[in-house]
Amino acid sequence: MQDWIHLRIRRQDGPETPAYWQEFRLPYAPDQNVVSVLMRLREHPVTIEGTWVEPVAWDSNCMEEVCGSCAMSINGVPRPSCSALIDDLAQPILLEPLPKFPVVRDLLVDRSRMDTGLSRVKAWIEIDGAWDIHEGAPRISPAEWSENYLYSRCMSCGCCMAACPQYGSHSDFIGPAPLAQVRLMNAHPTGRYDKTDRLHRIMATGGLSDCGNAQNCVRVCPKAIPLTTAIGELGRQTTLQALKDLFGRG
Amino acid sequence: MTAAPKAIVIGGGLGGLWAALRIADAGCQVRLFSLFEVKRSHSVCAQGGINAVLDTKGERDSIRQHIVDTIKGGEYLANQPPIKSMCESAPGLIRTFERMGVTFSRTPEGILDQRLFGGVKNRRTCFAGASTGQQLLYGVDQQVRRLESQGRIEKHEWWEFLSLLLDEDGICRGITAMDLRSLEIRAFPAEAVVMATGGFGQIYAPKTTTSTNCTGAAASRCYQQGARFANAEFFQFHPTAMIGTDKTRLMSEAARGEGGRIWVPRNPDDARPPHSIPESERFYILEEFFPSYGNTVARDEASRAIWRVTRQMGLGIGGSDRVYLDLTHLDRGFVSKRLGAILDIYRKFAGTDPLSQPMEIFPAAHYPMGGLWVDFEPDASGGMRPGSLRNHATSILGLYACGECDYAYHGANRLGANSLLSASFSGRVAGESATNYLKGLARATAEPSERILTEEVERQTAINRRLMESDGSENPYRLHRELGELMTSKVGVVRANPELEMALAELQTLRARLGSASLGNSRAWANQTLSFTRQLGDMIELAMVVARSALERDECRGAHYKSDFQIRIPEGKFPGDPEYEDYRARWKANNDRWLKTSVAEWRPDGPAIRYEAVDLGVYPPTDPRDYR
Amino acid sequence: MGSAMNATLDPSQFLLRRLHSLLGLLPIGAFLTFHLWENSQSRFGAEHYNTRVVATLQEMNYLVFVELFVIALPLLFHAAYGLAITGQMRAELSRYPYARNRFYWLQRISGVGILVFLLLHVGTTRLQGLWQPAVRDDLYGHMQGMLSDPLVFGFYALGLLLSVFHLANGLSTMAIVWGLTTSARAQRLFGYVCTALGLVLGAIGIHGLLGFLP
Ligand SMILES: Cc1cc2nc3c(=O)[nH]c(=O)nc-3n(C[C@H](O)[C@H](O)[C@H](O)COP(=O)(O)OP(=O)(O)OC[C@H]3O[C@@H](n4cnc5c(N)ncnc54)[C@H](O)[C@@H]3O)c2cc1C
Ligand code: HEM
Ligand code: HEM
Ligand code: SF4
Ligand code: F3S
Ligand code: FES
Repeated sequence: MQDWIHLRIRRQDGPETPAYWQEFRLPYAPDQNVVSVLMRLREHPVTIEGTWVEPVAWDSNCMEEVCGSCAMSINGVPRPSCSALIDDLAQPILLEPLPKFPVVRDLLVDRSRMDTGLSRVKAWIEIDGAWDIHEGAPRISPAEWSENYLYSRCMSCGCCMAACPQYGSHSDFIGPAPLAQVRLMNAHPTGRYDKTDRLHRIMATGGLSDCGNAQNCVRVCPKAIPLTTAIGELGRQTTLQALKDLFGRG
Repeated sequence: MTAAPKAIVIGGGLGGLWAALRIADAGCQVRLFSLFEVKRSHSVCAQGGINAVLDTKGERDSIRQHIVDTIKGGEYLANQPPIKSMCESAPGLIRTFERMGVTFSRTPEGILDQRLFGGVKNRRTCFAGASTGQQLLYGVDQQVRRLESQGRIEKHEWWEFLSLLLDEDGICRGITAMDLRSLEIRAFPAEAVVMATGGFGQIYAPKTTTSTNCTGAAASRCYQQGARFANAEFFQFHPTAMIGTDKTRLMSEAARGEGGRIWVPRNPDDARPPHSIPESERFYILEEFFPSYGNTVARDEASRAIWRVTRQMGLGIGGSDRVYLDLTHLDRGFVSKRLGAILDIYRKFAGTDPLSQPMEIFPAAHYPMGGLWVDFEPDASGGMRPGSLRNHATSILGLYACGECDYAYHGANRLGANSLLSASFSGRVAGESATNYLKGLARATAEPSERILTEEVERQTAINRRLMESDGSENPYRLHRELGELMTSKVGVVRANPELEMALAELQTLRARLGSASLGNSRAWANQTLSFTRQLGDMIELAMVVARSALERDECRGAHYKSDFQIRIPEGKFPGDPEYEDYRARWKANNDRWLKTSVAEWRPDGPAIRYEAVDLGVYPPTDPRDYR
Repeated sequence: MGSAMNATLDPSQFLLRRLHSLLGLLPIGAFLTFHLWENSQSRFGAEHYNTRVVATLQEMNYLVFVELFVIALPLLFHAAYGLAITGQMRAELSRYPYARNRFYWLQRISGVGILVFLLLHVGTTRLQGLWQPAVRDDLYGHMQGMLSDPLVFGFYALGLLLSVFHLANGLSTMAIVWGLTTSARAQRLFGYVCTALGLVLGAIGIHGLLGFLP
């Protein structure tokens, strides 16, 4: 049994300033996760050398791995920090901001590019308005439901994007998460109406074809979203779409 | 076209997004503020489901029954016209969600499935796997994104609402807000403001199931600027939360709904692993206390039963604050399918598998029934008049409130799966009212004077400056922990007046100590401690309202329970027995005295409480609740 | 980025990528398969190889057209676009040591390796033959001469293995790109098929190489 929880945290005071490392050591306690340790740390932010420093900035909200806000790189791997149990982690625990996203401060990053991606692919159902039209959507079989449900759980944490070797500031790639939402929206009885438009959007620059099938995305996704299945299905949909475009049946 | 009138919505949970949608749908320009990306709002945490009478299970469920269940669940404390309208609108809301693409779980026929939830006898809860709140929120989030892409909604994520801009007549003319990165404070004039900032479970942290951002600071700020705050003493404690040090995680009511049983070993010193304890040596708490409802009894009853068994009878597992929530007797496949997300949460955060070992749980602060006081206009049918400007208007003109930060639908206790409904419904209503308010304003409303804007921005900036410069000895995060401990132990599941008085005194001390908080953090960039310290001050103000309202209310009602003032159902007596009739009379007398909304108004020396009659037009109280 | 995207839904990148993918299989992959099978006949000796294999091919109609349009240009395009794709890679193998990630990296690295191999290989065979008719006339001897040097032999073996891996792995990713395999299971199963194919091709290639040794 360890007596300490030993953290190495990569810190950065602002988007433009250089990063630096600090080490912290807290008394061991059972049933802790990375966020609960960070919470303890901010009550007493003293480094291993005994210097008082500014509390670490990070992002969290639900503490149940459902809001997606707390993703960071933990021992090198992007994952939500609220569900990273200390007992399962090798020490010292390395905490770094979620890779690929611009750092705001310390472990806080700017994930607005994910939102841009979702807007870009029209990840919504086009409805007339948010009023009751006294009619629901058409029926969906339980089998189809259970496939769609898998994708509807994506919490935009950004882990898949962080792990994707094709995604980052160097490329236009929108990344796997928005692609999976295209798969979801295209399967909805009403969402289907905009399928062609969505497909054209992901057939444009930075779209589906920037995926190189590294499949890290699906390995790191904490919600087990079948991203690579979505990518395969979109491959099929775009193949057919390209044929339709070619032979004039848009 | 003239520039569309401007509305501001604060909060991007279900309530706020619905309000924004509705206002934008009506052609008005909306600015939407949220502390973070809206899809990370606390609404995602709701697992269990959302109520709506669809009557697809051959149970002759009716909207009337939903109304009655909601009213009775809240022990009559909620105004009934809004409840009536909410229950009537529920099926339409569900249909709209479905059109938005929400992946509600299906029956083999492909229509929406419904299940049973605590406190009711019919299956009327729609659900989407075990992540209903997440799915509902994403549904509206996507619609908001759609309107955003058309330029009809403008999002300000990572902005914190700080205060209202009130003009000389006390009318709300906009807000000030702080960019959580640059810490810049700006005034945003608007003609109508909708608060949808959620609940305030964090005053009980860490013994709360709510998200870490559910501080209630925003509502508290409105309260401190003159908005009334109602029914603050009613805080629902969820009976089944797994213990944690950062927060306690909810094991949804669905676990009980699907057949989960709550028990403890009859002998608290029984050290055997749970599965090897024979049936005869198990104490099935809820089934013994409430034979007719068993494990699906309402939350407050369940919480107190567990409290009684652990704290009074000393029967908690190993003598501690824990009881078993057992799913191991159920079919594994069935449980995995219906409760997948809960099981995952437990496995993930406790490291053991609830399919093979019972979960260990305890009650935690879950849902505040109280909130900003809001108005409604009754109509001839007994409901809320559609489109009325008064619906969901706070006591400040031009300021509306909806979602968990209002007090309207749940009375003294919330029925499970009714708050996703109330958040969505009230968001829609508040949006409609705000739109109508905007449209009804004289075209010539002048912009609020520049002076109001600059003065308020200056006032807020000064608060920041003072905090940044303060070099006291108190750490705000530790003060927060003290606040949570204080509230949990003294203003918790079971209350007593001497403790409440102590709590109020200690809150005053906390307030004073916060004055010498040190940020230990000088950088004026993304300074989370700064914004947290400000919020903590507002949480303490709110905690005072809770404690004060609890102190003043000498009765037991719903989630508010003072054992000294309990009117017990006579053991073994039933309607007709003289003892029971005597009990009924005392119950009626108590209602005459206490069946009133408590309304708090901010005063420098602490909240002033007064009482207001409840509109009981739909289903007046005739009988006490009897769960035997 | 987003708004620019809405303005022009430019599909050229998509089409180029699909063309690149297609060319990898047809004709390049097909050529490689044929080429390795062709070279595996080295075991029948110089006589057979020079007259039955090489000569038959060299007598083909429109040979230059075929070489140009079926082999050279597709390969050049595939290589050029492949280099561009490789430039987008930010692989982190130690952070994500998953098999698929390694293959992803190797696909690109092998592409560059193949390019180097091809420059030397084609330079010393087909191109050299252009101005040294002797080479053309006895390709068997020429190859034997070169491959007798263990260094050259190793270089060929490496070039061969990289090519075979590149084709086999390329096939498995192609199946995803075009939407043939979607579920994780299908992708895994097809992966096995591609592995088997790669092993067979590799064996044929090595066999061919050995056949040149004296
Ligand atoms: C664990 C859990 C499970 C639940 N399960 C169920 C269930 O099964 N069924 C059910 O009906 N209900 C359930 N509930 C209750 C329900 O989830 C909530 O009542 C409801 O989602 C509240 O929605 P809301 O829109 O009011 O607030 P929230 O979703 O909390 O949103 C609040 C918003 O306000 C913003 N905000 C707050 N302060 C500020 C500020 N100062 N400036 C700017 N923005 C601000 C936040 O950014 C956020 O966007 C559950 C609650 C919990 C805790
Ligand atoms: C097994 C080992 C190999 C041997 C013995 C071999 C042998 C040869 C020979 C003898 C030629 C000359 C043919 C001619 O001039 O008509 C040739 C050409 C060529 N080889 Fe290979 N090769 C091998 C592997 C490869 C590999 C792995 C590739 C990679 C793709 C390759 C690609 C080519 C190409 C592109 C040409 C030119 C073809 C043309 O334009 O006709 N070879 N090879
Ligand atoms: C022997 C010759 C070659 C063959 C048979 C071949 C075949 C293939 C095949 C079948 C694919 C799969 C395409 C897909 O995933 O859609 C592929 C991909 C690729 N090839 Fe080649 N190739 C050859 C040479 C090269 C060369 C010389 C390069 C450049 C350096 C190259 C670079 C690439 C790259 C980068 C990919 C990955 C594309 C992606 O996944 O996005 N290849 N190749
Ligand atoms: S797909 Fe998974 S990893 Fe990616 S954003 Fe969604 S939840 Fe996170
Ligand atoms: S990791 Fe990236 S390359 Fe494709 S398969 Fe996943 S998006
Ligand atoms: S805090 Fe929400 S996912 Fe971790």
